[in-house]
Amino acid sequence: MELAFYLSGLVAVLATVGVITGKNPVHAVVYLIVSLIAVALVFFALGAPFAGALEIIVYAGAIMVLFVFVVMMLNLGPDEDSAGWRHPRHWVGPSILAGILLAVLVTLLIRGDLVQVIEGDLLTARSVALTLFGPWLMVVELSGLLLLGALITASHVGRRSNPSRNRSGH
Amino acid sequence: MLTTADLVTVLPLIIVASTAVIVMLGVAWRRNHAVTALVSAAGLVLGLLALPLTFPATSSPPLMQVDGLAVMAGTLVLVSALVTVILSHHYLTGYIGPKEEFYLLLLCATAGALALVASDHLAMLFISLELLSMPLYGMLAYSFRAERSLEAGIKYLLLSAAATAFLLFGMALIYARTGYLDLAGVAGALVQAPDAWMLAGAALIVVGLGFKLSVVPFHLWTPDVYQGGPAPATIFLATVSKLAVFVVLLRLVLAAPFFSSEWLQTLITVLALLTMLGGNLLALFQANLKRLLGYSSIAHFGYLLVAIVVGNALATETTGVYLITYLVTTLAAFGVVTLVSSPFGGEDADGLPVYRGLFWRRPYLAAVMTVSFLSLAGIPLTAGFIGKFYVIALGVADSRWWLVGGVVAGSAIGLYYYLRVMVTLYLPEPGMRRRDVTNDWGSRIGGLTLMALAVVILVLGIYPAPMIDWVQGLSGLTN
Repeated sequence: MELAFYLSGLVAVLATVGVITGKNPVHAVVYLIVSLIAVALVFFALGAPFAGALEIIVYAGAIMVLFVFVVMMLNLGPDEDSAGWRHPRHWVGPSILAGILLAVLVTLLIRGDLVQVIEGDLLTARSVALTLFGPWLMVVELSGLLLLGALITASHVGRRSNPSRNRSGH
Repeated sequence: MLTTADLVTVLPLIIVASTAVIVMLGVAWRRNHAVTALVSAAGLVLGLLALPLTFPATSSPPLMQVDGLAVMAGTLVLVSALVTVILSHHYLTGYIGPKEEFYLLLLCATAGALALVASDHLAMLFISLELLSMPLYGMLAYSFRAERSLEAGIKYLLLSAAATAFLLFGMALIYARTGYLDLAGVAGALVQAPDAWMLAGAALIVVGLGFKLSVVPFHLWTPDVYQGGPAPATIFLATVSKLAVFVVLLRLVLAAPFFSSEWLQTLITVLALLTMLGGNLLALFQANLKRLLGYSSIAHFGYLLVAIVVGNALATETTGVYLITYLVTTLAAFGVVTLVSSPFGGEDADGLPVYRGLFWRRPYLAAVMTVSFLSLAGIPLTAGFIGKFYVIALGVADSRWWLVGGVVAGSAIGLYYYLRVMVTLYLPEPGMRRRDVTNDWGSRIGGLTLMALAVVILVLGIYPAPMIDWVQGLSGLTN
């Protein structure tokens, strides 16, 4: 169903615009989640369920939850009273977009035409795993080192207080 | 699958990566600056010793190509990293706060550079480029209490992420057209004339890599980052990072024919001209030594882009020779800045006035600086002359007159500001002096390293035959 592809793509674009125009980090992250789910639905509509599922599990599931946690823990946004927080204009946008996605998904499921619409081999979990831990092993190992580097950077720069201040310390 | 033979070919990479893990465990157990520096240096030396074992390689691990170019670049990467470690030790002794993480980040980035120069697959290229850049953010922002350092780290992080997006989009376009990610596949998929999508993909990749090489007009981050980052991080950025990215760009051009299409060649020619002239003109009235060296490195990579435009067997040789001369020269020049700024105390000593009359206080240090600046300017009897000679010879042999003209004009402009710095070194000392190197600098290993580099610059300038033979031998084995 081609319409599903274009609709989800449109939702992804609109939600991403919401991310970069939003002033409140939590609202931006909510839009980002919608955007990622929309991208996952694009994969489903193309007939690539594994890629779609990965998108949901990895991005919308794991990474975005971390984002939300960090944003909430840092409490970056300007303080708003609870009434302003619940104002409809904050949640109506993502809800409409998510509603469209739900409608697309339900339609796809009811019609039952989740078939492959583009050329190419359908990737399965098994073949992805075999590639990653076979010929691509070096890439996986280097990614591990990359994460180590990122972790060290974050832990060093994020140190709350040095044991003693710099000489230049202002 | 990885076989034992494959593992031997990536032995230096494995050694450097394991050193990083060892350093990490050591830091977790007990912090000791000297031991950490020693272990890091030992790991890099071991990696250097293991390089000859990898060659000639009968097979390469999947996604990688351990050929002459990779071995040559790997050697240069390891040597530069080793010099950086030596200079970092002296520099960081003054840093109050944890010092050991710097070596850990440096080792991770070195592993990334080693993988990058040998990558034969776009996915490998991407991951190793990120592995090279990610620890660099931390290294540049290492003394994050100093405002400039944090600014440098954040600037590099944001702009580098933007460049990565360009790079990825370019790869996606190429993958969409060819269905391959390995260079051989990409090159073989399109025998006929490449279409607009392929060219757009290639151009985006050039933009992404050009950012890391700070090619004009993607150079705007360079002066601020060079100035703000701690001196050892700047050395690493100016040598290892640039070298590895340039080698991978050369590999792309040599492997994939659409990179040498007429349109893209014109694009790179224009970029090269802009870079040579822009870098030199911007450096002209610069009073900050680190910014000046940053602009100078922009100009040098403009000269080197001639090799990318030409893209034949001689271009590989030119790249090798030029990179060696650039590397020893830059290491010496930044090394002096590092040594004068050591031990760390807030901001680095990078204003030209600090260096006024350096000769009368520290004659040897001023001599190293003079030799390295003569070499940067490309004066005969220094290594820089040999490199510049190669670039001009390459341009002439391929009848790229615009580029040759650009190199000549750029060198002429460059002479002005290089000489200006040299003159400053010999001016009579003003009454007050603010920063100075510690008295026994010559006995310290950092000072000895700098002296050795200065000697190497002169020896390579006077008797370059062994270097040229070595580069020729290795570039002949590049496929």
